[in-house]
Amino acid sequence: MAVTFDEASASVASSSSKLMAFVRKNGSIFLIYGLIILIAGTATIFSDTFRTPSNISNILRQSIILGLLAIGQSMVILTGGMDISIDMMARTVALVIATLFAMFNSDPGLILPLILLGVVVGVALGGVNGLLITRTHANPFIITFGVAFILRGVNLAISTTPIRGIPSEYLRIYDTKIGIIAVNVIVMAIIWFLVWLFTTRIRLGRALYAVGGSPRIARLSAIRVNRTLVWAYVLSGFFAALAGLFVLSRMGVGDPGTAEGMTFQSIVAVAVGGISLYGGRGSIVGTLGGVLLLTILSNVFNLMQVNIYYQQLLLGFVVLIAVAAYRSPRTVRSG
Amino acid sequence: MEASSDVSQPNGTILKLHGIDKTFGGTHALADVSFDLRGGEVHALVGENGAGKSTLIKVVTGAYFPDQGTIEVGGSEYQSLRPEQARNLGVSVVYQEFNILPELSVAENVFIGDQPRGRLNLIDMGARRKKTYELLERLGTQNSINPNELVKNLTVGEQQIVEISKALATNAHIIIMDEPSAVLPSRELERLFSVIRFLRADGHGIIYISHRLNEVFELADRVTVLKDGQLMATKNVAETNHSELVRLMVGRELTDMYPPSDNQPGDVLLEVSDLDIDGTVFGVTLHVREGEVLGLAGLGGSGRTTVCRALVGLADIKGGEVAYLGKPAPKTAGSASRVGLVLVPEDRKAYGLVLNQSMRFNLALPNLMEFVRRGVLRSRIEKQAVKRMVEDIQIKPPDPNILSDSLSGGNQQKVVIGKWLLTNPKLVIFDEPTRGIDVGAKAEIYQRIRELTYSGVGVIMASSELPELIGVSDRILVFFEGRVAGELERKDFSEEAIMRLATATEEIDVPVQGGVDL
Repeated sequence: MAVTFDEASASVASSSSKLMAFVRKNGSIFLIYGLIILIAGTATIFSDTFRTPSNISNILRQSIILGLLAIGQSMVILTGGMDISIDMMARTVALVIATLFAMFNSDPGLILPLILLGVVVGVALGGVNGLLITRTHANPFIITFGVAFILRGVNLAISTTPIRGIPSEYLRIYDTKIGIIAVNVIVMAIIWFLVWLFTTRIRLGRALYAVGGSPRIARLSAIRVNRTLVWAYVLSGFFAALAGLFVLSRMGVGDPGTAEGMTFQSIVAVAVGGISLYGGRGSIVGTLGGVLLLTILSNVFNLMQVNIYYQQLLLGFVVLIAVAAYRSPRTVRSG
Repeated sequence: MEASSDVSQPNGTILKLHGIDKTFGGTHALADVSFDLRGGEVHALVGENGAGKSTLIKVVTGAYFPDQGTIEVGGSEYQSLRPEQARNLGVSVVYQEFNILPELSVAENVFIGDQPRGRLNLIDMGARRKKTYELLERLGTQNSINPNELVKNLTVGEQQIVEISKALATNAHIIIMDEPSAVLPSRELERLFSVIRFLRADGHGIIYISHRLNEVFELADRVTVLKDGQLMATKNVAETNHSELVRLMVGRELTDMYPPSDNQPGDVLLEVSDLDIDGTVFGVTLHVREGEVLGLAGLGGSGRTTVCRALVGLADIKGGEVAYLGKPAPKTAGSASRVGLVLVPEDRKAYGLVLNQSMRFNLALPNLMEFVRRGVLRSRIEKQAVKRMVEDIQIKPPDPNILSDSLSGGNQQKVVIGKWLLTNPKLVIFDEPTRGIDVGAKAEIYQRIRELTYSGVGVIMASSELPELIGVSDRILVFFEGRVAGELERKDFSEEAIMRLATATEEIDVPVQGGVDL
């Protein structure tokens, strides 16, 4: 039976054109961007506010925090893991840096060193996650969940009230614009491009896919599996730190509610973007789509003045519909 | 309950297969095979790998529907059986992998499907214990197995007896044993044989599949030989002997699938002495030279695969020495591949290919360092290398972007071979290089293996297919139960010679009277 099936599918594959193969391979990406165009198109027709340049620019800027977190989450999910601690890592970075600013009288000269320090903190926390996971061989979900709880405690110890004393120059990260476009949007676009290059053109990026596809085969293929895993969590911590630093600039205070609920949103963005939660499959281009979709939806709901409770409900449906639509041919076949 | 009436008439035929035919795609897995089993007999089923033994068993258990032929069982005739129908008619299989729950007791396992009930429909633990004891008594094992013991505390042999008791608890009277001795250490064999004799005395019919001919002669009443899906013969064990069985099992023509071996081996690449691997391989000594193919023969579980895996650091070496290019053996698959020692593993789906990725991804995977310039993967270099390999080993369709999952088995195997050839290896270990692939792809792979030796690469090829070993190897080492049973030079190659070493049958050239006492 197996033999005939293999032969049949091989001949089907050979007869189908390259374009068909491309569409099939990237089906989830076509789907997500189709959905974005559909929703944005509808909103453009029915809402005067939506199509204004300032709203579009606003959406792009709103997508940055989720974008940074979803990039980190993508690295981890590609390896077949999950990082529950990213919101708390972002928060820890934001609160630590805010405290230090406050401690040193809002000295603008400290902006660059403290940004670097924040990145170091994020990378270190990610490294701890990675080492715990590769040393204990425990489920990444549980390990990062535990780390998230510890960090939640640490954050509560740092402050339960907003920390004032961020130098006003620091707020320019959020505010500076060239014309109507915020500089941070341009920087974010460059980050997305670099991450795309990383996942497709750097050996470590390829290794993430191999480890997620099958750690056993990756190991047999001379890939250093543990080292790859640690790197994935380090990258997750790195991007969480960037997100924390960005939130700090946006809020202007060290907010004890920084990134609340963002772990869940990042996982949703990654899943809706078509990266397999089992690892090894999907593209960062899909994650970008997932981030844009969630941000646009939230923007449209706000413009339509949909009650916040119904927003959650509608969002849930979008997630379920998108994920249900991804049942790949492979899943259908084996089921 | 009907089962007991059958059991009570010893020597009556309880299962009769007539003219069974089964085709898969282009392969004739069974061609007009007839087989019968009597109550109170052990009927051995022998043949090489791929001879059709398991297909025949699956027809009896209802896993396969035959294309033609009839099955007579329980007094009726069927075109085919469904699995639950076969079970209800008293057919039960004891597989090599047991279907028992280690954390439950013997009694709980034996009656897992149908627990004895008592008052209020609660499980009657006393009755369950008593019935289990009675079953164990019927097998003569009531003194060695306690019904209350947890199964995980039992030896493998005892667990196997629990499996057999489970079959009896469902009133099975046709008991199929799929190489039951392969999983047992030799000290537990005697008890298994004794259990089987108890079953036979009880009137059950036993189909006994084994590669070990000694067991056939020790245990069976009749033996049926299959080869390439054909019924070769059914014989009374008392009227045959080892050499006749071996001749019936093998003895086929070598075709021109195999390229000639005409190159001279060079220096020694790999030298292994007194290799011990935890409880499975003992004192193995071998060497491979540049430009030669060393075949590893032996039955499943004889240690071939374990040795292959140990050489690339995938199994723990307990003792002995491995010298590769004069240095100690690499400890991991990664470091092995960096020094040109690679394994093309046995199960391509589990160890060879990331199935949900493209052919290109898989071909490139162990070679990524080769494609990096200044820290960046250069896709042009990668694409060129992949394209060269796809053309070189003729993967079809030649589209590097196709999902590995959608390739045929032969082409998947070529991708696994190709990904390792791209690393420019010095010594390639093939474990079952052609399992489950078609004849055309096989011939191409043999050709490729021979070409490797022309460029001075050394090859180790472990295989269970004798014609392939004989056709491709320059020398053959035969394994038996973790040890090297013998080495054959090309002039001495024959399927009989290999089987003789692999089944530890020494007296094949001497005609044996009655086939006893071997």
